Amino acid sequence: MKELERSFYSKASMYSFIVVVILFFSIWVGTGQFTKVGWMKFGYMVSSFIFFIGITVRLTAWLMRPATHEVMKRTIQNMKTTKRQKRNVKAIVKTLVDNIILQKFIFKRGIYRGIQHWLIAWGCIGSLAITFGLVFGWMHFRLVDATTYQLVVFNIPTITMHPDGIFAQLVFNGLNIAAAMLLVGLIMAIARRIKNHDLKVTERAEFDLFPLYLLLAVTVSGLLLTVSFKLLDGWMHSTIALVHQITVVIFLVYFPFGKLFHLPIRPMAAAVPMNYQETVQVDTKECIGCHKPYSNDDQIADVQQMLGNQAFDLKMKDGNHPSDYCPACRRMLRVMNHLNIKSPVGEVAEEPVQTNNGIHIPGFGRRRAESFYAQSVKEEK
Amino acid sequence: MKKIMYLEFERCIGCRSCQAACRECGGHDAKERNYVEYVDFLESRQTFPMMCMQCKDPACARVCPANAIQITDDGVVLSAMEEKCIGCRNCTFGCPFGIPKFDFEENKMYKCDMCYDRTKHDIAPMCASVCPSDAIRFIDHDEMMELRRKRTQLNLIEGKKPSENNKWQYVPEFFGVYSD
Ligand code: SF4
Ligand code: SF4
Repeated sequence: MKELERSFYSKASMYSFIVVVILFFSIWVGTGQFTKVGWMKFGYMVSSFIFFIGITVRLTAWLMRPATHEVMKRTIQNMKTTKRQKRNVKAIVKTLVDNIILQKFIFKRGIYRGIQHWLIAWGCIGSLAITFGLVFGWMHFRLVDATTYQLVVFNIPTITMHPDGIFAQLVFNGLNIAAAMLLVGLIMAIARRIKNHDLKVTERAEFDLFPLYLLLAVTVSGLLLTVSFKLLDGWMHSTIALVHQITVVIFLVYFPFGKLFHLPIRPMAAAVPMNYQETVQVDTKECIGCHKPYSNDDQIADVQQMLGNQAFDLKMKDGNHPSDYCPACRRMLRVMNHLNIKSPVGEVAEEPVQTNNGIHIPGFGRRRAESFYAQSVKEEK
Repeated sequence: MKKIMYLEFERCIGCRSCQAACRECGGHDAKERNYVEYVDFLESRQTFPMMCMQCKDPACARVCPANAIQITDDGVVLSAMEEKCIGCRNCTFGCPFGIPKFDFEENKMYKCDMCYDRTKHDIAPMCASVCPSDAIRFIDHDEMMELRRKRTQLNLIEGKKPSENNKWQYVPEFFGVYSD
C-alpha cells in the first residue's frame, strides 16, 4: 500500500483514482460494455463522478485527523479481535437500527424534528440510491413480453414482474415516493427555520439554508416532471427535465462540501458502543480523585493518545493527566489551583494549565516559601 | 470582540443566578451550560462559577473524531454541531477543565460558547449580565489590566511579593477572547 501510495500525489488522489476505476468498471458491466449508455444522462453521470470523488477526498482528509484516526484505529483493532465479535456485531446492529434507520436520538430532540429529519434523510438516501443505480446503469428494466418487466442488475437478469403489480408500482414510483417524503420533510424544516427564533442564533445561510432550498428545487422540479408526464401530456417536459438535471448537478457537486456531508460520517457512531461505553450511561473507570465511575479505560487511553499526538502536554505534578479525573474533580482542581488551596484529591502542575490564548495567564498566589510561614508564626507569638 | 470575561472566584456568593440566566438563553433547551460548585464543601460554603476558557488551541476540539466542535473567527469555541456529533464524549474527557456537558437522551455534547450571539456584538453574556457580586464580569481589556494591577498591589500589601516574572500569577483568572 505504501509503495502504491508513493506513485500518487496524495492519499486522497490515490483513493479517488481507485473509486473512479471501480465506478467505470461498474458502468462497463452494467451497461453491457457501454452499449446502453444513455447520453441524456450525461450531466448526471459527470456530476455523480464528482460526487464520489468529492466524498472520497473529504473522507480521506477526515480520516487523517488525529482524533478520527485514533478512533478508527481502535475500531479496526476491535473488529479483528475474535473475543469481541459479539460486542462488535451488537454495536453495529444497534447503531444501524437505533441511530441510522430509526434515528431515535433525533426524535428525542423533538417529535417534529424527528419526523422532519427522518423524511429528509430517507428521501435523500432513497433517491440518491435510485439515481446512481440508473445513471451508472447498475440496474434497468427490460420488457420481456407485453405483460412482463424484468429488473436487470449489473446486466444480470433478475426478478420479473407484472407492470401493474404492487411491487412493480413501488419500484417504478421509487423516485416519486422519495420525492414526496423529501417534500414534506423539507417544508417542515423550512417552516421550522422561519418560525423558530432560537435557531437564528447559530444559523448560517450558506450552511443551513442553502441545502434546504437546493433540495427543494431538486424535489419540486422532479415532481413536476412526473406531473407533466402523467397529467399534462408531457407539457414543457424537456424544459423541466433540463431544470431538474441542472438542480441535481448542483446538488451532487455540493453534497460532499456542505452540511449534508454528515451523512457518510454518521456510521462512525457505531464506534461508541463498540470501543467505549458498551451500555449507555454505564461507566467502568473510576475517577482517581473521587473514586466515582466516569468513563472507561479504552476511551481515556485514546483521549490521552490523541492529545499526546497533537503535542498537548497536560501532565500534572502528581504524574496524572487531567483526563484521569472526572470532569467535576477537574473543575475543582482548577479552582483550587487558582485559589492556592491544596486540593484533597490531587496536585496540579506548578503553573496553571496554559490555554495559550495569548492573554490568559491565570492564577492566584502560589504557596510561598516555608520561611515566610515560619516568620508569621513567630510574629504571632 | 473588544471585551473579555473576568472571573473572581472568591466573589461568588452561590446564588446561581448565572445558571438561571444561562437556562433562559435561546437554543439552550432550558439546560444550563455553566457550573456553580463548592470549592471544598467540607471546609466552607464558598462556591465558584465556572465557564469555558475558549482556549486558543482547544483540547476538546482536538479530540473530537467527528470534527464537530467549531471555532469562530473571533476564537469562540462553539457547542458541537448537532448533525456531526456522534456522541462519543471524548470532548468531556479531553477538556482539562471539565467543561463540555453531555446529553445522553439527545446524544450530543453542549458547552458554554460565551453567548456568542451576544458577545460578538460586545454585549455581556447572560451569566455576566446577571451576576450580582461581579464574580463574573465582561469588561474592556484596559479595565481588566487595571483590576489586575490593583490586585497585585493588594497582594503586595498583604505581604506577598511577586517578582517581575510571576506577578501575573497573583491575580485572579481572566479569559475570553480579545482582539484589537
Ligand atoms: S471546553 Fe475545555 S478545552 Fe474546550 S475550549 Fe472550553 S475550556 Fe478549552
Ligand atoms: S461527543 Fe460529539 S463533540 Fe464531543 S468529541 Fe464526541 S463527537 Fe465530538
